[in-house]
Amino acid sequence: MYHVNEFTFLTEDDLDREVPASTSFARFMLHSKPKEESTMTMFSLTEEQELIRNTAREFALQYCAPIAAEIDEEAKWPTESVAAMAELGLMGIPFPEKYGGAGSDYLSYAIAVEEISRVCSSTSVILSAHTSLATWPIYHFASEEVKMQYLPRMCSGELLGAFCLTEAGAGTDAAAQTTVAVEDGDAYLVTGSKVFITNGDHADVFIVFAMTDKSKGTKGITAFVVEKAWAGVSVGKHERKMGIRAAHTTEILFNNVRVPKTHMLGKVGEGFKVAMMTLDGGRIGIAAQALGIAQAALDESVKWAKERQQFGKPIAANQAIQFMIADMATQVQASRHLVYHAATLKDEGKPYSKEASMAKLFAAETAMQQSIKAVQIHGGLGYIKGTVAERLMRDAKITEIYEGTSEVQRMVIAANTLK
Amino acid sequence: MPNMITCYKWVVDEADIRVEGNGALNFERAGRKISEYDRNAIEAAVQIQEQKGGSVVAVSLGGPELKSSAKDALSRGPERAILAIDPAFSGADSQTTALGLVAAIKAGAGEFDLILCGEGSGDLYAQQVGPRVAALLDIPCISFVNKIEVTESGIRADRKLEDGIEVVEAAFPVVVTVLPDLNKPRIPGLKQVMGAAKKEVKVLDAAALGLGSAELASRVETRAVRAPKSDRKQQKVGSVAELAQVIASALR
Repeated sequence: MYHVNEFTFLTEDDLDREVPASTSFARFMLHSKPKEESTMTMFSLTEEQELIRNTAREFALQYCAPIAAEIDEEAKWPTESVAAMAELGLMGIPFPEKYGGAGSDYLSYAIAVEEISRVCSSTSVILSAHTSLATWPIYHFASEEVKMQYLPRMCSGELLGAFCLTEAGAGTDAAAQTTVAVEDGDAYLVTGSKVFITNGDHADVFIVFAMTDKSKGTKGITAFVVEKAWAGVSVGKHERKMGIRAAHTTEILFNNVRVPKTHMLGKVGEGFKVAMMTLDGGRIGIAAQALGIAQAALDESVKWAKERQQFGKPIAANQAIQFMIADMATQVQASRHLVYHAATLKDEGKPYSKEASMAKLFAAETAMQQSIKAVQIHGGLGYIKGTVAERLMRDAKITEIYEGTSEVQRMVIAANTLK
Repeated sequence: MPNMITCYKWVVDEADIRVEGNGALNFERAGRKISEYDRNAIEAAVQIQEQKGGSVVAVSLGGPELKSSAKDALSRGPERAILAIDPAFSGADSQTTALGLVAAIKAGAGEFDLILCGEGSGDLYAQQVGPRVAALLDIPCISFVNKIEVTESGIRADRKLEDGIEVVEAAFPVVVTVLPDLNKPRIPGLKQVMGAAKKEVKVLDAAALGLGSAELASRVETRAVRAPKSDRKQQKVGSVAELAQVIASALR
């Protein structure tokens, strides 16, 4: 296997070096990039899906790779990357052209999130929260008028979206919401505070859940589309996070915000359903993010194991390392199958809640375990701030927590399996 | 408003090539991609079109696998593609490729002013096809181009040579072969990717192009392709003199 090493000796700098045109084979070999593990699957992707993967990959390498470490360290919002995603049409991948989307599918979206996550998970979660959690519920539940009002500008990236469900006292237990919506003529007055809102400070449009009838528990929750620009909406505390640090997470406060009844998603009391259906799709996005992190952990480990020499040979010559790599490659591939399968079911209009939970559970745990292994393979270097391996390990953890913890995924899977 | 043709090669993605123990190259799991420098040629044509108008047609030649290149090429901007596809074109040498491309251009591209090619392909880098296309069409060829400017009736181009930059002008029609520092190819957006399926792709086989066994006969014989070997050793030396000696003997 070390014969593959010939490829890894050549660096990006070598590509810029002048090579006599006559040494065509040398030039050919210089263009060889370090081999990354294959992303091939049993799924035969369409040409469009492959091209969308290429676009997302090129975007990630060109825009995210040079700044990923820096924006993580400084918790700096990647303004230029978000603008580039908008320019490339990545902000509305699975939505019809009629609403300004790319007219592609959810699998393509998952592939794009995967590829961006291989390089920068902060950037990918900005995209995932915007697409799955904000744009999708408007596309699925809003009136045609409200769709036309928001979707074209959200798909073009002119407006960024966020999802406001979680409260300090209401995480998985959505019925414990204290945000209330009180009917007032042709509108509702929304008051309350939401925490851990991805994209909070940069979003223009919020999907907000509030109690319209506290006595009904989850059946008393209603969902609304709320603009940040409306009176009474403000951004609260910024969280300092372990990982995905460049994706901002904030508190969002609503103080008697007047929301027209036209901006309700679904009917009164259907908010819990809106939230659960939205999160089912969101889980595919997060599963894809975890898959990208796990793939990156594998890529980094393979590269380092072949480069790092100890006792006169690359550490990849040791079976201990080889077995770690084998397990990583197998789990990454299994994750990919689960994620693509869940996305395909969604595209086919089939039930996918259980499969989305399975994909998120497995991919998230894979990302966590494999990124820990990646740090281990890197040895002391993997523990140093600024290396890719340590960032992957910090970024991986959130995938086991947000949009339903691994425990919640097991609850969903068990409920679907035991019924 | 120049009418432009961009020629591209659908090469094996070198990142997917595996090297066997004996140095042989294994292409089994290798995908394909548009050769790097040809992407610069396509980008150049699209940029000229954005400034001056005109048209861009993508033309390529290859075996059956070439079919799946069309959307990739068209997502980069050309409005239609002409593909010369035939099992006999798999591994075609430079002369067959040039003959096929010229036949395809004559059969489907219409009037043209400018043909853009990459300086060389990503796999063999023989730098033959562009000049051969020009010779077969009996029009000038400007190679090693890293800057293009469209003039009233032709182009002005900078040729990056070993000892300096040569600025040349040529009247249309003309073939230009480009270097990668000419531009930075744009990343195809999702709308371009999804829109590529709606563009026209004309496929022609060897018979339709009027190419018989004489034209298709290979003039080049490939005996073997092997990966270069580079050994990585860590050697410790005691002095500068010893270091010089070690390097000198390694170079011998």
